[in-house]
Amino acid sequence: MARPDRRRFLEGIGMGLALPLLESLAPEGALAADQRPPTLKRLVCIGTYLGFHQPDFFPATTGSDYRCPTLLDPVSSFRDRFTVFSGLDHRGRNGHDGWKAWLSGSASGSVSLDQEVAARIGDRTRFGSLQVTCGSPPDEARMSFTPEGVALPMIGRPSVLYRTLFRSAGDRDRADYLLSTNRSILDGAIAEAKALAREVSASDRSKLDEYLAAVRTVERDLQKQRAWLDRPVPSASYALPEFDPVAPDLALECESIMYDLMALALTTDSTRVVTFLIPGWSQVFTIEGRQLSAGYHGLSHHGNDPARIADYNLVGVEHVKRFAAFLDKLRSATDESGLPLLDSTAVLFGSGMGDANTHDNSNLPTLLAGGRLRHGAHREFRREAVGPRLLGDLYLTILHQFGIEADSFAGASHNLNEHLL
Amino acid sequence: MTWFAAAARLQIAALGASACLAAAETEEAGPERLLAAYCAPCHSGAAPAGGVGLDPTSLGSGGLSDPDLQERLWTALDRGRMPPSGAATPAPAERRRMLNRLETDLLRRSRDGARVPRRLNRREYENTIRALFDLPAFRLPDGFPQDGSKAGFDNVGEGLVLSPPLMAQLLAAATVVADELLGPDPGLKPAQSKAYPLGTGGLSMEGGGPAAGGAFRLMSSRNMASAAAWPARFEAPRSGIYRIHLSARAHQTDRMSYPRRTGPVRIAIYARPKTEQVYAPFEQLRKVAELQLDAAAAGPQALTAEVELLQGEVFGVRWEDGPAYSDPPGRDYAHQFLADRLQADRRYYAAMLQFRGGPRGTTQAQLYDATRSLMESGDLDLSDPRLDSMPEVWGGGLSNAPHNWIKAFVHEELYRHGPAVDLTALEVEGPLRLVEDDEMRARRARTRGFLGQRPPGATDEEHVRLVLERFLPAAFRRPATDEELRTYARLAAGVLASDAEASIKDGLHLAVRRVLVSPSFLYRGLERGRMDDYGIAARLSYFLTSSPPDDRLATLARTGTLSELATLAAEAERLIRDPRSDEFVRSFTGQWLATRLLRSIMPDPRLLPFGAGDREAMIAEAEMLFAEILRSNLPVKAFIDPGFSYRNARLNKIYGGRLQGDRMRRVPVERDGRFGGVLGMAAVMMATANGVDTNPVLRGAWVLENLLGEDPGEPPGDVPAIAPDTTGTRTVREQLAAHRADPSCARCHDRMDPLGTVLENFDPVGRWRSQYPEYTAPPDGERPLRQEFYSTAGRGTVAGPAVDPTAVLPDGTRLESVTDLRRHLLRRIDVVARCLAEKLLVYATGRPLTFKDRLEARRIARSAVEGGGFRDLVVGIVQSPAFAVR
Repeated sequence: MARPDRRRFLEGIGMGLALPLLESLAPEGALAADQRPPTLKRLVCIGTYLGFHQPDFFPATTGSDYRCPTLLDPVSSFRDRFTVFSGLDHRGRNGHDGWKAWLSGSASGSVSLDQEVAARIGDRTRFGSLQVTCGSPPDEARMSFTPEGVALPMIGRPSVLYRTLFRSAGDRDRADYLLSTNRSILDGAIAEAKALAREVSASDRSKLDEYLAAVRTVERDLQKQRAWLDRPVPSASYALPEFDPVAPDLALECESIMYDLMALALTTDSTRVVTFLIPGWSQVFTIEGRQLSAGYHGLSHHGNDPARIADYNLVGVEHVKRFAAFLDKLRSATDESGLPLLDSTAVLFGSGMGDANTHDNSNLPTLLAGGRLRHGAHREFRREAVGPRLLGDLYLTILHQFGIEADSFAGASHNLNEHLL
Repeated sequence: MTWFAAAARLQIAALGASACLAAAETEEAGPERLLAAYCAPCHSGAAPAGGVGLDPTSLGSGGLSDPDLQERLWTALDRGRMPPSGAATPAPAERRRMLNRLETDLLRRSRDGARVPRRLNRREYENTIRALFDLPAFRLPDGFPQDGSKAGFDNVGEGLVLSPPLMAQLLAAATVVADELLGPDPGLKPAQSKAYPLGTGGLSMEGGGPAAGGAFRLMSSRNMASAAAWPARFEAPRSGIYRIHLSARAHQTDRMSYPRRTGPVRIAIYARPKTEQVYAPFEQLRKVAELQLDAAAAGPQALTAEVELLQGEVFGVRWEDGPAYSDPPGRDYAHQFLADRLQADRRYYAAMLQFRGGPRGTTQAQLYDATRSLMESGDLDLSDPRLDSMPEVWGGGLSNAPHNWIKAFVHEELYRHGPAVDLTALEVEGPLRLVEDDEMRARRARTRGFLGQRPPGATDEEHVRLVLERFLPAAFRRPATDEELRTYARLAAGVLASDAEASIKDGLHLAVRRVLVSPSFLYRGLERGRMDDYGIAARLSYFLTSSPPDDRLATLARTGTLSELATLAAEAERLIRDPRSDEFVRSFTGQWLATRLLRSIMPDPRLLPFGAGDREAMIAEAEMLFAEILRSNLPVKAFIDPGFSYRNARLNKIYGGRLQGDRMRRVPVERDGRFGGVLGMAAVMMATANGVDTNPVLRGAWVLENLLGEDPGEPPGDVPAIAPDTTGTRTVREQLAAHRADPSCARCHDRMDPLGTVLENFDPVGRWRSQYPEYTAPPDGERPLRQEFYSTAGRGTVAGPAVDPTAVLPDGTRLESVTDLRRHLLRRIDVVARCLAEKLLVYATGRPLTFKDRLEARRIARSAVEGGGFRDLVVGIVQSPAFAVR
């Protein structure tokens, strides 16, 4: 029998981390006077672990007159609201392990795009950011990293995400108790460390100072959480299913619910930064009544067999259909100024896996929707071009639209402003 | 270089020493004159050799010189590395005189013990929680920050930084632990039963599948993922009793190749956690019920079982006694069936051999159909000589046969023609009543154990005090002060005072959370100077078990007898015998032999198919060899040429053995041969390469640092890394030679490169090679497929340039092969032992070594080499004065 208590450890800590704890390490300081006001207020990054069949994701031609390829067909009604990019990647490692670099440019762990944005805007909402997935993906499937390179845990159960967002009164009391006692615990720890510091040598003191600095930072975070606790939790009427469809076979069902809850999180302004990792195992999907010819992972290693590519694409199309429904929700919801939420939300959709068949992580499928950007085209960047462009260049443009004037990110130091602004 | 930039450079010439003193003159010459004579000619002036400028104060005269420079000078003289070959060399007595002077000065200035306290690292923290709170399965979450490493180990104070995210995680973990121990008890509320009509559409299984009339066809297998039907749409909402209704019938056709079943057929129900993917054999899962089906009955039969499912579990229905290929009774049967068939009809095997090259991703049904149509096409090559060896292949089992092909063929045969079991309906209702699951029971027991018996008539306050008197010393690994007891008691009392419904459980819940973030819990080595027996107990325990002191050590510390040398030795030997010292074996080898790196290295698929099991076998080999040398007290030279190792079938692909099965077993290894010991060991060779190609610099640096105990130095930042060129136009050897032509590179590379070059016969996973491979296919375009099925491994690889492992060490020693390197190390086993002693001392004390520590390590190593074994060396570390200072 497997370890029954491990699940609870993970869940308990995962929820703790989903609170705006780490994100509030935001650099203080507002916009400089000469900077343009940010056009983006929200960021959603969605990645499919097993990627897409590139030839059916990238349009055959560039510019705005492209013919929608198979995989983009479900989202074609939004084509003037998104841009497809080909030829972008991090020039990083191949293999599943390279997936981790998708939002950060580094497989060994550095801050990811969402956390960079959350550091700036995370303290404006109850949750600095949310990390969502379906079920329990493999260890290599991680996309959000703190500045220290720590992978953030993801919530994989719809019921847990729902409870986190729209917590009941009983949960609130317990959270309140833990928060206030945590603060008194840290006060005690500070007193103890100070007393110890008086007795020890200077070099010992350096370690105790490190301890004190860490405790004080965490204490400040707890204060912010405490402040959120007193504000009323938004109410949402959403009919969760009887049980969590977390079995790999039901991953597409779970995906739909998670998209719904993500949309709720954004429309209730519970958070403005969300990442969603859509995992993939060897589960055999049944799509429109037909059981596919192999497991999802097996299909992704299609060996260029047309029948298997077709089945692999069937799964891909299901992902894109759900993505389109999510965009639709963001288009019909409005923000505080009465404008569609989508106009101030950047939605990045793609994968850290370039070609799953060969585990090649170049030319990552990338689509950026939303915001007031110049959309509607397929932009192709050639590797052999002079001054080749990296995926990080796109991230820099996104950061700039949040008012974050970074010069370099994820190993890139240009931007794609001329293509999007 | 910057190392020596700080050294003052007086003009050596001011001494008036001659650069070539005659031997007679140096007879009684003082160390300063010797330095002037032997070192100054190169190491002085505006551009001293290697950037190292020496002057009379370098040898030590009142602490004027830089101690780092002095220690480097000492090392160079002590190792005989300086003066270099070709230059005038001091007589042994002269060298000793210089060394003595340096030692006097260095020892006088050497610090005693550690500079900073040490935080418990991740592994120690987990073990400590497990031991303190009786939580054997405790694990920190995957996202918990990793520890930094200093001086080669992850338990050294300087590397164990406490960052704000780590503190946040420690605070969260403290609540999780306190909840496990003293958290709110959900209790057993009345059950709300509900029926879940599952049907058979949502069942999932590999190997089986849908059958006529909406049924789900079950076959049998050991592997539960391909053996049972798991309802996708059910998960036990609470731990409780559930009633399962199912309908099933036997599927048996006239075309069955197996005997018809007539009597009862066994159907079993297993349980597993819902979110985990199961590839486990059924024996490892919990069987919750067994039912019987009448194979002879015509229609579906209704069966019912009441089973206990834990919260979050799902159940699976398995046919227990089917004849499927991988079932223990079924396997023999399947072999026999195939042997009969194959012997009776050569076309089977011929079709199979022919089909083996078929496209990847062929389904079971396609394989079956293709084989059959090949058989009937008359297009078969029945003269293939391999067909003649067929009976032998089957007679000895399937190890040399295309295992997956047979498995798929048999599965399909059973699926189509039977016997199989068709599940026609499935429903579950419940929970009929809730049960207290193991987790809940264990938690209650933990709570009871932690609180202990309340003495009759004791107040809450007195009870809390009793618990704290027991708990605080265990958590702090020393007696608690009165002030501490008062502080924690006050904390608990505060909870009781603020809430009328609170119990002492709630008060202690808070106290436990507070303890778990206290510096006294998180750090060791907060004391100064020589440690008391409590400090020694903790150090000994964390050294050999990565866990806090057990009861025996705590008692010895309390009675003040632990620091007696005989007791220390006896306790160290006790812990070494204890299986808990596996933690030491794993952690120390993981870092010394770098086997921890293996998990992040993925060998190039063009080299060989490689999986997690292969990697684990490599790691196990390194750990088991180390463990035997330690526990059997073998001499240190056993690390170099032990004459044995531990291997399993997975390692055949590295060493070319003929072992069977995954169990690691002790095997003899030819002494003085290619393999044996840490040189040429797969784990080490793989960890010192990158999975794709080899780099002699990396391996040489590893040997230098980890067997010879020399600091290879940091590569200068402005030099690009050597990128081996596998196109064959230029060998690594040629690249390295060009590299060494630059004197500033040569200074370090002359020491590293030869040691790595003789290991070039080992490929990136440690296989022996005499030629470099050349790849004709693109890196990932043509992955070798599963060998058993398609036998295309290695496609796209041809033999390239020959490997030339010959190398010359700086002292002129010529090495022809790894065997020569092994002999070289065996001749210098005292150096290897000293290196190991230093590594052990760092690991044991968690501090970078001071000069005093290094001399101590050398003393311990010497006595271990002279007639002792490796365990003696470890015990020597524990008994040394260096171990007893913080």
